[in-house]
Amino acid sequence: MTAIIAQLVISGLLLGGLYALVAFGLSLIYGVVRILNFAHGTLLAIGGIAASIIFAVYKLNPVLIAVVLVLVFLVFGYLMHIYLLDPLKKRNPFEATIGTVLVTVGLLLIISDLAAEIAGPTPKNIPLEFHAYIVGEVIIQRAELYILGGITLFTIALHLFLKKTWFGRAIRAVTQSPLGANICGIRSKQIHAQTVAVGCGIVAIAGVLWSLKFPVDPYGGFDLTVRAFTIIILGGIGNLVGALLAGLFLGLAEVFTSFLWASDWAPAVSIVLLLVILVVFPRGLASVRK
Amino acid sequence: MTGSATEKLALAAIFAIAVIAPFLGAYYLTFVFTMLIAYVVAQSWDWLHGEAGYVNLGHYIYFGIGAYVFSLGYINELPVVVCFAFAALFTAGVGAILSYPLFRLRGDYFAFATLALLPLFDLLAANLKGITKGTDGIPLPPKGAIVMGVDVKVFSYYVALAVCVAAFFLTIWLARNKFGFALKAIRNDEQAAEICGIRIFPVKLKTMALGATFAALAGACYPWAYRYIDPTTVFGLNVALIPIAMALLGGTGLLWGALIGTILLGTMQQMLLVQISGFQATIVGIVTLLIGRYMPGGLLRARIVRGTPGLGALGKEHHERLGVRPAVGAAGEALAIERRTIDPDRTILTCNGVTMAFGGNIAVNNVTLEVKEGEILGLIGPNGSGKTTLFNLISKIYEPVAGEIRFDGHLLNGLRRDTVSHVGIGRTYQIPRPFSDLTVQENIAIPLMFRGDGGLARDAALAEAIKFARFAGLEARLFDRADALNLQQRKALEFARALACRPKLLLVDEVASGLTPAEVRAFVDHIREMRDKYGVTVIWVEHIISALSQVVDRLVVLEQGSVIADGPLREVMADERVLRTYFGGSLKEHA
Repeated sequence: MTAIIAQLVISGLLLGGLYALVAFGLSLIYGVVRILNFAHGTLLAIGGIAASIIFAVYKLNPVLIAVVLVLVFLVFGYLMHIYLLDPLKKRNPFEATIGTVLVTVGLLLIISDLAAEIAGPTPKNIPLEFHAYIVGEVIIQRAELYILGGITLFTIALHLFLKKTWFGRAIRAVTQSPLGANICGIRSKQIHAQTVAVGCGIVAIAGVLWSLKFPVDPYGGFDLTVRAFTIIILGGIGNLVGALLAGLFLGLAEVFTSFLWASDWAPAVSIVLLLVILVVFPRGLASVRK
Repeated sequence: MTGSATEKLALAAIFAIAVIAPFLGAYYLTFVFTMLIAYVVAQSWDWLHGEAGYVNLGHYIYFGIGAYVFSLGYINELPVVVCFAFAALFTAGVGAILSYPLFRLRGDYFAFATLALLPLFDLLAANLKGITKGTDGIPLPPKGAIVMGVDVKVFSYYVALAVCVAAFFLTIWLARNKFGFALKAIRNDEQAAEICGIRIFPVKLKTMALGATFAALAGACYPWAYRYIDPTTVFGLNVALIPIAMALLGGTGLLWGALIGTILLGTMQQMLLVQISGFQATIVGIVTLLIGRYMPGGLLRARIVRGTPGLGALGKEHHERLGVRPAVGAAGEALAIERRTIDPDRTILTCNGVTMAFGGNIAVNNVTLEVKEGEILGLIGPNGSGKTTLFNLISKIYEPVAGEIRFDGHLLNGLRRDTVSHVGIGRTYQIPRPFSDLTVQENIAIPLMFRGDGGLARDAALAEAIKFARFAGLEARLFDRADALNLQQRKALEFARALACRPKLLLVDEVASGLTPAEVRAFVDHIREMRDKYGVTVIWVEHIISALSQVVDRLVVLEQGSVIADGPLREVMADERVLRTYFGGSLKEHA
């Protein structure tokens, strides 16, 4: 029994850590630019599928694949902001809100459909064989250790990046007041675009790590966006540590729901959790702490 | 409704085509049926979005719930009429229940929570296999497919057409009815709507339930015609967003928006489906994206459409259809405010130990204050001393953490904002908050329509509003939108709107700051006139002492949330502590 629970905890942490990575990007973009990117999780799907195809064709090292994909996603995010999202800011608030929703939902539909048409609708992953460690009755694959290590390193790196660098400080200034930051010599529009780019870049990493362990479903992206949104509401918008903890919690909750009840209901955990949190704390949990 | 000839012609043409389409063959029957259903969903979605400003991305769940309830009734051999009634009632109930949690949210959060309903109901439909038969779906028995020798698709077609007609006329009714004005006020500013006497939650709940009912009726037509229902056809993300894209393509909040959008996008989709195999979701996605990027206001609002003779009539905003023109009246005409006889010894407002804290910050500290009927009280104090917070407590924006507020025999603690407006408290905001996309006339008419006594009818309120606009010097801007006004005019508009609440007590928050001396003088005269002519009691927060000194009977000074002086102007102005904290010097230094 303890072995089963240990195994479940490992899966939960793994899944939760990956959710948290997806949530980091969404949190960064929503926290700074105030744009809710409905296509965010779908980016992971297409990243994971691209990684699996690149691996199948060129047999590249997954780290190299990640580097390539991060660059592509950075450019994509930057262009998406400059050409699709930023122009909507000039409209009145009603039109800006609904416009942003339509643009990002449109992207979601396009990306997932293109991915499914090009790569086929069956889920894909990177079929690397890894050595497995056996501790007592618990089996740990080396890939899982890589993923956990990757998530940990990346969280620390991102935290330092946001706290210690000029860009991190500029981001925080722009979050407080885009106009104020502008007056102080920060180009808010550029910072916004770069933030969206970084947010998308993080998803690329999450996509590669994801495909090392789990198959990626081209249509599963929106469920991931819901999870990521639940995580940032639970952990606090713009709060990395909170998002990591919330992600791990959600991963464990889903794994145990599958085990104790039925795997069919696992996706419902995040939706129900999201609705409950939004209803009990309409301004997010972060407002309670303040 | 003053529909133009173009509109009547367009309506007749569309209706005629819809009536004859089934006779043209099975292809046209299916084609138009799809559009009829899409129109009902798009239009019922737009009641909440176009009128009340809430983006309900999960509206399609009502379509799905209606379809499922209908199918379950049908396979249990209930009469079709009963199945329709069940579908409508059950779904309206779901809409009403969902209103309680959902309307605690706004903006992005509301949009996201409603979008999350789609996967949730998809999961429920797929996993509650005992009821819904899971992903296998529910087939309807073939014996009902032919009724009286006619394909049931024809019957469901005309039922759907009837629902469309009902939805269209309901939209007309909503745009011109008082209920619709409540929605428009909510869209612009919920707090200001409450201040104007509108109880907002029931209005939102009814709109949600109404939209749910119509979507459910459309949903019920679907399995009746196609004899089959499964989770992905009614809860899938790509099908769910198409009706929303249709309403937005035409123009949200416009009478013709959803209809024109449905016809255009529906036809386009139909043609593409025939031409192209695959990439359908991509095409929906591209259309959605382009609408969002280039015309979130809709095609009918585009300059080129509005400029085209004939077509322009379809893009009319609701207020361009109202047509209540100014009545001829004299400048000094009386306002519809009852002239109260003042009893200067009667206390109208009592604050007793009122305290308000935000976290650890005590904004109003144990304030005890009495205001006599017909008094004009000046309230001054340094910035951050709690003046606006005190106003917010009296108008129930906040609930005090301690103390009692009594007004004209009512204990205000625990009352809602709309009730506070109804018992006779009106207010303005320091930064004006008019309903920005409504005209000056509509802004003033809203409190007249939602008074405590049931309010005036729409036309009477609009006519009456003209007198208030004239009083505030806004007659020339009567039909302009509030967001086109300058600061002084917006302040004047707010003042007029507050008067239209027929207040016994008027709370005026820094109305004179940022105005020229002449504009300030006009406000001073208005305030004096309100008291002298109509017996309105006034509390005026202001930094411009020269303005206050012309009218106030008494001055109260707040500092760090506490009352530090209370008395006639001269006494208070000579008070050493007031001089030190507010004027920044002492008498001795000046002497």
